[in-house]
Amino acid sequence: MMRRLGIFAFFGVLLTLYVQLLGPVRQVMEQRPFVEKLGLIPHPQALKLLFPDFRALLGATILGRVTLYFGGLVEHFDDPRLLVKAVDYPAMSRAIHTAVKLDPYNMDAYYFGQAVLVWDVGKYRLANELLEYGMRYRNWDWQLPFFVGFNKAYFLGDLEGAAKMYMRAGELSGAAMFKTLAGRYLQEVGKTEMAIGYLETQLAGARIASVKKVLRLRLTAFKALRQIEEAVDGYRRRYGEWPLGLEDLTARGMLAEIPEDPYGGRFYLTEDHRVRTTSKFSLTLGAGKKKKVDVTPEETLRDD
Amino acid sequence: MTLLGATLKGIFRDRVFRGLLMVLVVFAAIPAVSTLSMRQVVSLCLTLCLSLSSLVLLVLALFLGGTVLWRDLDRRYCHALLSLPLSRERYLWERYAGIALFLGLSALVLGGMTWLVTSFVAAGYPPGRPILWTVVFGCIALDLLKCLLLVAFAFCFSAFSTSFFLPIFGTIAIYLVGGASQGVHDYLRSSAATDISLAVRRLADSLYYLLPNFSLFDIKLYAIYGLPLQTSQLLLSGGYFLVYTLLLLGLSGWIFARRQIP
Repeated sequence: MMRRLGIFAFFGVLLTLYVQLLGPVRQVMEQRPFVEKLGLIPHPQALKLLFPDFRALLGATILGRVTLYFGGLVEHFDDPRLLVKAVDYPAMSRAIHTAVKLDPYNMDAYYFGQAVLVWDVGKYRLANELLEYGMRYRNWDWQLPFFVGFNKAYFLGDLEGAAKMYMRAGELSGAAMFKTLAGRYLQEVGKTEMAIGYLETQLAGARIASVKKVLRLRLTAFKALRQIEEAVDGYRRRYGEWPLGLEDLTARGMLAEIPEDPYGGRFYLTEDHRVRTTSKFSLTLGAGKKKKVDVTPEETLRDD
Repeated sequence: MTLLGATLKGIFRDRVFRGLLMVLVVFAAIPAVSTLSMRQVVSLCLTLCLSLSSLVLLVLALFLGGTVLWRDLDRRYCHALLSLPLSRERYLWERYAGIALFLGLSALVLGGMTWLVTSFVAAGYPPGRPILWTVVFGCIALDLLKCLLLVAFAFCFSAFSTSFFLPIFGTIAIYLVGGASQGVHDYLRSSAATDISLAVRRLADSLYYLLPNFSLFDIKLYAIYGLPLQTSQLLLSGGYFLVYTLLLLGLSGWIFARRQIP
């Protein structure tokens, strides 16, 4: 009887200790920085040599961790200033690059890489390198040239390069829309419309709640930009001259108020009468973060 | 009853198949995990199914291949069996055939589960590219061949080893080296390896041709992303397996026939 009581007491004490430990353990794990949460990711070549049969699984696991990590920050998405402080973009970039080295066909990596590198940290060339690496493998996929074309036209001002990419996307998808877009890019008209169209295409295919939320934020910003552009054009038609600043639009009733840039920046009018924002639709710039974010991977992507 | 049948019966008696059925429960979680993918739910589902199948077959190959002969020797079953009109080579080949049959059965069950789970996921999330089922089943079949080759290695080590350490850990080492050999070979052929001495290159080349090349049996990316695969590649892998396995089993039989059994 005493022996049985002793066993019950032994397990009772251990179970109580275990329950007591759960809270602190959870707290410590939640507070760990991203690099620690993800763990030290070995060089992709080492992973390939050690786990030759599980390359695709390892790539998917790394991306799954990145997605879960980003999704876990969803409470910060309403305030970009908080988000940019919370997210470890360099670690995310390194993880994405490792994942594509393990599985160069993984579309999640390119989709997420485009979202993070282009929109959040403004590394357009690095994003295009990643996407063009993917195009060598996913040679049937129209989305990759579509993304590259958009980056070239919208962010890098390479309209000829963008048109080529849109033609490629048109060939792969069989959709005439891309060829029309290619033509419009060459004429550099309706850039904001293009961006809205691009984001609506992205949003239609998005499934993860955190990604949807980021895309909606971006779409809101571009719709605000279009609203101001329409008011500027309306001003020009009505008064026969360009407004000197955005305040002219509100002063003369073209806009009730200047829409806010959800990225934390401020819209302004350039000397050539174009509407721009100080955030450049980038979280790092919009949040007033001057420090450069280095997201360059340790080595460039090349074929194995 | 033949020794092949007895081997198969022994594996079932050890409840290995029941263990396999319990592992199959993990397949039930795959559809839920696959929905975490942003753009390729079905591809992630196939990645998980094929990786799980690969892992299960590998574990079965290592433990069945590495312990069957050792257990017979340790429990002195060999004495009883070899007192029958049965050559040592025949004994070894029939044991191998029994394990191969069980692994084949396991691969069938795993292939069936892969088909069931992936079809279920594809019904909810239609894939961008069609699933090439012949390549998916070909991938599991090649995984099976790779594991059978590993069992042949385990038998070769068991033929002269007195404990199960060498058959199991030696086979794990062969698995790692065989999986890496193509990568090392490619690296040594690349411009990044120009500084490596000629002696090291020659040694690496010799090992590349001597050791098994398991990359030949890995077509997972083809299966996951529906990439077309040439039949000649499958036939070449099959031929490579056949020749290498027969050589190893022949060598194992030759060593085992000359071994002193205490």
